[in-house]
Amino acid sequence: MKKFTYTITDPVGIHARPAGMLVNAAKSCGAKVTVSCNGKTADASKLMALMGLGIKNGMEVEVMVEGENEDKAFIEIKDFFQNNL
Amino acid sequence: MKDRVFGVLQRIGRSFMLPIALLPVAGLLLGIGGSFTNETMLSTYGLINIMGPGTWFYSILLVLRDAGQIVFDNLPILFAMGVAIGMAKKEKEVAALAAAISFFVMHEAISAMIQINGGTENLLAGAFGDVVGITSLQMGVFGGIIVGLGVAALHNRFYRIELLQVLSFFGGTRFVPIVCALTYTVVGILLYFIWPPVQNVITAVGNVVLNSGYVGTWLYGFMERALIPFGLHHVFYIPFWQTAVGGTMEVAGNLVEGAQNIFFAQLADPSVEQFAVSATRFMAGKFPLMIFGLPGAALAMYRTADSDKKGKVFGLLLSAALTSMITGITEPLEFTFLFVAPLLYVIHCVLAGTAYMLMHIFNVGVGMTFSGGLIDLFLFGILQGNAKTNWIWVVIVGAGYFIVYYFLFSFLIRKWNLKTPGRGETEEIKLYNRADVEEQKHSSERKGNNITTEDIISINLCNGLGGKKNISDVDCCATRLRCTVHDAARIQDDLLKSTGASGVIHKGNGVQIVFGPKVTVIKSNLEDYLEKAPDKYFERNSDSSFMTVEETESFTNPDGRCVIASPVSGIASGIENTPDQAFAGKLMGDGMVIYPSGSSILAPFDGTVEMVFDTRHAIGLRSEQGIELLIHVGIDTVKFGGRGFEALVSDGEKIRKGQTLLLFDRNHIRANAVSDATPVIVTNMQEHWKIKMLKTGNVKELEDLFEVETENIKSS
Repeated sequence: MKKFTYTITDPVGIHARPAGMLVNAAKSCGAKVTVSCNGKTADASKLMALMGLGIKNGMEVEVMVEGENEDKAFIEIKDFFQNNL
Repeated sequence: MKDRVFGVLQRIGRSFMLPIALLPVAGLLLGIGGSFTNETMLSTYGLINIMGPGTWFYSILLVLRDAGQIVFDNLPILFAMGVAIGMAKKEKEVAALAAAISFFVMHEAISAMIQINGGTENLLAGAFGDVVGITSLQMGVFGGIIVGLGVAALHNRFYRIELLQVLSFFGGTRFVPIVCALTYTVVGILLYFIWPPVQNVITAVGNVVLNSGYVGTWLYGFMERALIPFGLHHVFYIPFWQTAVGGTMEVAGNLVEGAQNIFFAQLADPSVEQFAVSATRFMAGKFPLMIFGLPGAALAMYRTADSDKKGKVFGLLLSAALTSMITGITEPLEFTFLFVAPLLYVIHCVLAGTAYMLMHIFNVGVGMTFSGGLIDLFLFGILQGNAKTNWIWVVIVGAGYFIVYYFLFSFLIRKWNLKTPGRGETEEIKLYNRADVEEQKHSSERKGNNITTEDIISINLCNGLGGKKNISDVDCCATRLRCTVHDAARIQDDLLKSTGASGVIHKGNGVQIVFGPKVTVIKSNLEDYLEKAPDKYFERNSDSSFMTVEETESFTNPDGRCVIASPVSGIASGIENTPDQAFAGKLMGDGMVIYPSGSSILAPFDGTVEMVFDTRHAIGLRSEQGIELLIHVGIDTVKFGGRGFEALVSDGEKIRKGQTLLLFDRNHIRANAVSDATPVIVTNMQEHWKIKMLKTGNVKELEDLFEVETENIKSS
């Protein structure tokens, strides 16, 4: 299991569209991705759960990547956060 | 499809086991009682003075004989109930009751039809008989199996049915006997017309088998053995043993059908001089095979085992061989070489057929209750005397079988280097059983298990009662779940109430949770859950309180159709026509888009609010069946920061279809947003789900908008 923390820079936070993109990234990376924020945790492949975290601009999230391809997935997911969120 | 048919047949076969397991005991009573009340036998052994008619010993034996006989006489209803129990998924006792009722109702309906149509004079002799005291058509165990299978199907379909509030007392398991009784009244009427032609066909099939002579006997024996690995042999031989397929014969003035029934009728009839081989040909072949042949194979496996492993294999093979010899239960031995050397099994089948044929040729008239072990050979062969049974041939042929099995198996195991127990590098020495085969199947099925809403209720009930370990028993009355716990302090009222209960009542260690008439369904589900729940106390974590509907993503929809109504009036179109790439590309899910003409969002189904965005421009819902729906009002409206939107519901709230969820200022959106397009999308689309648009163009609020086709998930 690998994890990193990231501070959201997207002005509207993780709302519908960014969440949708994250779900797709999480689904295609081949590992299980979970996002924690404000003491709540969500499976990043579940759109509704992810949006339910209510993540907004400036909040710090902890992202965990776990699975067979976690090294590769870790890089992909980290890149995704840096480029999109 | 093939797998399903096979699976069902296998379950039917297994469900025969309950009534069949009774037969050895009934046979023992009948065997002992019948033998020692037989005057010919008594005078042969000079016992007529000690235990002849009139002595108390004789009277006791007579009771024993009749006690055994009644079981054989009533096999049809025992099969009806046994099959219903075996095939019912849950609440099996209700299925058993329903089967008994249905059996009576069906035969009484047939009986009434016979009366109406001029009584039994108009039927062929042998077509009717006395069934549980009713003059009805002779259907043998087929009649029982028809009832058992039908009742089980109805039971599995209806035991959780929820009826209208007014009728809800009759819902759940109580509905099962009702619907079964009604159904079998009709079935009985139909059978009056259908069965006589079927009877003719069965008799014809039976005649073919009976007239095919030794070849037919060989084929029967071969097939019976060949079906054992599939567990389908009972389905195959039961008709021969219990119905007219295995022949009909007049014994002591009664017309008896089925090989086993003929044998036991003859056993109880003192005037029989020799048992009918036309009946025992379907049984006697097992004796040389099981008492002699298979132990020979076991010896061969022992002798061919590696010398250092012989000790370990010895106990294993000896117990399996003894089981086969004494009781005639052969699976422990057969399964041992079936998996490692299927070819040996084929040879075994051929030899089995030959054993049946030889017994037929040598006129061996030994029957059996269940299988061909020493117990049955003693009771129904040796004890009856060689004159009646020719049992000596079992031993003569058996000796040959022992030698053939021993040398053939030894030779083939060495020649093909087969990995029978104790040979080669295999670590574990074990006998296989059917459970091993089943286990593999089930483990793959279990993986697919998802958590359903029913499960969540059960989980919360279980935890609310302090965990499985704290629960002493669970019962219910008309409206309440009545539970007894070991420690009342462990009860968590809030968890119990979260299940939708309208009240929780404590009394010492008793807890009553009030649900209303649907309680029987909840109880069934809870019992299912408790079977597999871990046996421990529930400890509440400080933060991660308890499981709620939001945390599960599973989906249950027994009936397939999930229709989403339009949450707002306007113009509807496919999601790909949304003026936003992310939505149009189905990035967040599939569904439709509406250009609203109204200004309020209504609940499109019964369910719960998953989450309302803090900016109130979108809302996530979950239907009762598990569909997650996102309604996103306008494009890029997140930027409004909530201006122009008002939410009337909050997270976790239960909603009814048509309830107003959100109000929005349409003009504000049109003036300030990219578009007022409102995507309505399913966010938890599974691979095989499809969206079927039901309405495009002008759509009114709450008109059916699209359907989520989930049917295929059931079969996959």
